[in-house]
Amino acid sequence: MALKVVIAGNPNCGKSSLFNQLTGLNQKTANFPGVTVEKKTGEFYFSKTEKAILTDLPGAYSLYPNTKDERIVVKTFLDVLDNDFPDVVIYVADVNKLDKHFLLFTQLKDLGIPIILVLNMKDLAQKEGLRIDTKKIENQFGIPVCEISSRTGEGIEDLKKSIHKLSEEISSFSAPLPDYKFSPIERQVASEIQLEFNVQGIYRALLIAHHKDWYLDKNNSKIDHILAKHGFEPVHFQVKETMSRFDWFTPIIARSIKKTASKAQNLADRIDSLVIHKIAGPILFLIIMVLVFQAIFALASYPMDWIEMLFAFAGSTLSGWLPNSWISNLITDGLLAGLGGILVFIPQIAILFFLITILEEIGYMARAAFLFDRLMQTFGLNGRSLVALISGGACAIPAIMSTRTIPSWKERMITIMVTPLISCSARIPVYTLLIGFSVPAITVGIFNLQGLAFMGLYLLGIIAALVSAIVFKWILKTEDRSYLLLELPNYRTPVMRNVFITVYEKVKSFTLEAGRVIILISVILWGLANYGPGDTIEKAEELALNVASEQNLDEQMTNDLIASYQIEASYAGILGKSIEPVIAPLGFDWKMGIAIITSFAAREVFVGTMATIYSIGSADDEATLKERMEKEVHPETGEKVYSIATSFSLLLFYVFAMQCMSTLAVVKRETNSWKWPIIQFVFMTLLAFLSSFAAFQLLSA
Amino acid sequence: MKLSSQKVLSQILPGEIGIIFEFLDSGVATKLLSMGVLPGSTIEVRRYAPWGGGMIIKVDELVIALRKDEAETISIK
Repeated sequence: MALKVVIAGNPNCGKSSLFNQLTGLNQKTANFPGVTVEKKTGEFYFSKTEKAILTDLPGAYSLYPNTKDERIVVKTFLDVLDNDFPDVVIYVADVNKLDKHFLLFTQLKDLGIPIILVLNMKDLAQKEGLRIDTKKIENQFGIPVCEISSRTGEGIEDLKKSIHKLSEEISSFSAPLPDYKFSPIERQVASEIQLEFNVQGIYRALLIAHHKDWYLDKNNSKIDHILAKHGFEPVHFQVKETMSRFDWFTPIIARSIKKTASKAQNLADRIDSLVIHKIAGPILFLIIMVLVFQAIFALASYPMDWIEMLFAFAGSTLSGWLPNSWISNLITDGLLAGLGGILVFIPQIAILFFLITILEEIGYMARAAFLFDRLMQTFGLNGRSLVALISGGACAIPAIMSTRTIPSWKERMITIMVTPLISCSARIPVYTLLIGFSVPAITVGIFNLQGLAFMGLYLLGIIAALVSAIVFKWILKTEDRSYLLLELPNYRTPVMRNVFITVYEKVKSFTLEAGRVIILISVILWGLANYGPGDTIEKAEELALNVASEQNLDEQMTNDLIASYQIEASYAGILGKSIEPVIAPLGFDWKMGIAIITSFAAREVFVGTMATIYSIGSADDEATLKERMEKEVHPETGEKVYSIATSFSLLLFYVFAMQCMSTLAVVKRETNSWKWPIIQFVFMTLLAFLSSFAAFQLLSA
Repeated sequence: MKLSSQKVLSQILPGEIGIIFEFLDSGVATKLLSMGVLPGSTIEVRRYAPWGGGMIIKVDELVIALRKDEAETISIK
């Protein structure tokens, strides 16, 4: 059986770099059970034949957690009977902050699990003139110590040897007594809990006393009784334990380290004076974000075009080869279109994460989050939400995936919920088409009216996002208090290995997890648009052929007419007609109803669907479509269908409505439940419905 | 509880230093204690965030960002 190994350590100690060094691409990400905290597991060989399963735990400072996320670390070490309970712990400490990183180490050691102390950042320590007596630490604490650099990979082989050696000693391993000196009350409480609940190890029993509220079932009267009997005050003993541990190991570490003054801090402070400056700071952030936005928006458009072309080519080639049947239709128009719809997002996801991970690695992101924390708090958001909101302007999918770095559950949920309200690039074709005939192309002063309308729609999205955020801030309840209180990492050059692995992991998880849902919905939408009850589709074709021969239409126009008659007869058409009573107060007819339904595949599909309905054939012919839509009149009243009121109402609908199955699929994956995507769908659709209703009623009155 | 002569961290100006006397909020205390910021530690205030935001402090080799309301719960002697 494979050896179960976990990596533990404080935030910013280089845990993830070490994890990447050991496992390479041989890793997968999932969530810890019941929470949305990323659980990275991977495999590596620590000898020629022996394999280890490695889990990267979230960074934590101690076994006294403040948030739900940090509790995972404690839970991992308390659940002795759990299948995932580790055989060996690799504890990573940054040598430059060794005296701070030792608290969690001494706590884990007291739990009696075989542990290896890894002193990381050997390369930086040498540069800063830091010398460590590892033998002294090994002897003092009685555990193996390895010096490595997770950035360069130096010392990794030694670490594997240590793991190998330790794995051979596991069967004979007996847990040493804790180094921590228990006070009489702590000892009493812990021993009684140990007996009562059959806990392995007295320090583990003490931790259960501290964490009973969330670790045990609520109202555990037995433990409450024990605590009350001895007058056990958790906070008091926590402070006492922490202070006593620091008092114990600080002198030992001081004796094992030789330090010369470092210059790096002064440099960091000088960079901070620019990055966090009240004027230069926001300007720098804005410049960086404009570059990021441009990169996602402009750079991604080339590979996106290639992917679209490739799929169009594959579709037409395949349909040429395959016999004309429903199966070949399903493959080319359903599955292939769905697959194309997934892959087309990959360039944007890859570019966003490439840039964000670099900014994160060099230490900029934590500072930007700090800079905007106050401002974003007003809206119930986090400093880090700003990155998601801005990249949402290109595409909500990578933006929502980037919210993993937001530490507070509530702030992360709000960010996820409101990001799709920011107008993404898929709305542009719809805006262009509708503004094209609802807003006159004239200039007022120096402003182009259509340009102003465009900007207005973007502003509307931003305002809606911020206002909804305030509403969610008010509605959502959490027992976790929100803290900023974070350690700012040192400025460093990025480790490209980490950057590329992050990009690879993000793309992989999107394709595999969200991709399944997207394919499924694509096939359903394809079915709706291509099938109707009984033989209605065949009848529609016959009818179209009759009309075509009466009017002497050429082949192209005949085919367009057939497509138009067929979509009307399909389930999508029936659905469009059946929702007409609901959307009529917004000024929409059943044709727009069909387009709204098919837009669920992606908003830009609106243009293509409209082209099919009005039998224009190719969606690329935007000018023709625009003309045709302008001419459309109401069959009974003879009024223009696309009046100012209807056009504005439709525009508002596309600003606010949740019409993107890919986003919903990603929200489902990121929140680990269907609850949040459903809430999001309902509130955004409701917002769209009400504002379109108000706009249409006011403008047509 | 706070004595009039006692300052809290949010009153310390950038560039000045203070020594932690006690923590007035158990949540903030838990976090800072775990980071190794203890009563008796010397805090150097590095700079304030703009628009009434938080501050950046330095304790030994740790650089920590915290909100104003968090800094208000740390009493300084």
